[in-house]
Amino acid sequence: MADFAMVVQIWFAALLTIWIYSIVFKDNVFFKFAEHTFVGAAAGHGIVMGVDNILRYGWAPFIGGNYIYIVVFVLGLLLYTRYHGNYFWLSRFPLAVLVGVGIGLSVRTDVSASFIAQIQSTAGMKVLGTDAWTAFSNLVFIIITLSVVYYFIFTFPKMHGGRLGIISTIAKYGMMAAFGYSFANTVLSRFNMIFGRFDYIMNTWLPLPYAMIALPVALILLIYVMIPAERRPWPKTQK
Amino acid sequence: MGKESKTIWDRLEDIPREVLYGILIVAFIIPMLFPFGFPVPISPEVQRWYDFIDKLPNGSAIMIDFGYSGGGEAELGPFAVAVYHHIFKRGGLKAIAMSTSNEGPLLFDKVIAEVNPSQYGKKYGVDYIHIGYIAGTETGMAGVGKDIRATTTTDYKGTPLDQCSIMNGINEAKDFSLLICYTTGGDQSEGWVRQWYTTYKTPYLCCPIAMMVPTMLPYQKAGQIVSLCSGAQSGQMELLVHVPGRGIKSADVITITHILCLALVVVGNIAYFGKKFSGGK
Repeated sequence: MADFAMVVQIWFAALLTIWIYSIVFKDNVFFKFAEHTFVGAAAGHGIVMGVDNILRYGWAPFIGGNYIYIVVFVLGLLLYTRYHGNYFWLSRFPLAVLVGVGIGLSVRTDVSASFIAQIQSTAGMKVLGTDAWTAFSNLVFIIITLSVVYYFIFTFPKMHGGRLGIISTIAKYGMMAAFGYSFANTVLSRFNMIFGRFDYIMNTWLPLPYAMIALPVALILLIYVMIPAERRPWPKTQK
Repeated sequence: MGKESKTIWDRLEDIPREVLYGILIVAFIIPMLFPFGFPVPISPEVQRWYDFIDKLPNGSAIMIDFGYSGGGEAELGPFAVAVYHHIFKRGGLKAIAMSTSNEGPLLFDKVIAEVNPSQYGKKYGVDYIHIGYIAGTETGMAGVGKDIRATTTTDYKGTPLDQCSIMNGINEAKDFSLLICYTTGGDQSEGWVRQWYTTYKTPYLCCPIAMMVPTMLPYQKAGQIVSLCSGAQSGQMELLVHVPGRGIKSADVITITHILCLALVVVGNIAYFGKKFSGGK
């Protein structure tokens, strides 16, 4: 039984993959079905995990005698008052708690983690007393960092004019290089995702019985539904 | 109104999307059917990751965050699999997982099924465990870091943590010798720096999807991350661990498709300059 369930799951996953990727050629009913299925499944999964969380982290301690958790439940329920015309303002209290806790937790270390540590590491870069390549890399890093920081000083427009404009130009080239690096990495990520799905189709689905027959059938059907309805040989549409 | 005839440069600039995707699909499928076996050199980051785990003292506990969603599985899954192989092969380590993504527990199951810990004689609850999806991202990280049992008392299957021998003596971030995070989100990758590295100085190995690497590089440069590897480097980790898998298979495909990307950028530029020099706009 478990094997059968697994086979059904593989077939469904493979077909959904093909249907989802069909959007790159043309919108079609199979894509829409796959898209809606994904949204529904993701929403369903989110609800299940949400309920599970309430049971594990709220209800379990509460019935275990930790009655302070009633405060959490009340705050959680108050979030839903936003749907009520007269009592929506009550939802601001739990929201304030959420935002306050979130900001408090991140700010307590953010200055050190994302600001001081970065400045320390840049300031500590060696340009002298190291090999030529490292010294050159570090020098470029320092120049780009300082020029980009300079670029974002908007208060004094004159700082970006005349001969000082060269600093902004260096900053622009530095940022362009960074954007390019970022874009290349994005392409890498996306291609990895595509590879993952292709690998699944080729090595998990296609070895299953009848999958080799189903693949061309699925592709032909896809092409067929991409043909505009009035140009399809069958079924004939009435004008 | 007569239709202006398209020049060769116009056609090159406006290659239909369907054609480009068609070529891309072929570029994906050919190396999958006929692998070229391009060399996969080991980068310093992957080597540093491997060495760090290798040199951990026996009995060390590792916190592993499955902070990625299903979309990132193809990239991060193979890396997580390779690292689990390494942890189990190396032996004497406690692999305690959690998830800051709600899909994490499912992806943990997938990784463990692929690793098959029993081949190394490793048992759930004794050598490895998953303590569940901890909501709240940074709030969850902070909570687990301060007191695990105050955050969750059971694993992801509902088994009380006190019934799992792996959790003996493991109560807070200070009991961990290493933190590993696989993630598709900046909240997780940067959150761990803030909540565990900065607060407890827990050594941190970060494996985000490739597109997040530029964001995380400054943290590695500042020494807050021991090693930053993208999931795209899983082939390298598989080579180091001697367990070839999905990562190594993707290496050829990624190389070929990137060469195709470069070629298309070149074609686009040729078309642009060709049009410019032939008097077009």
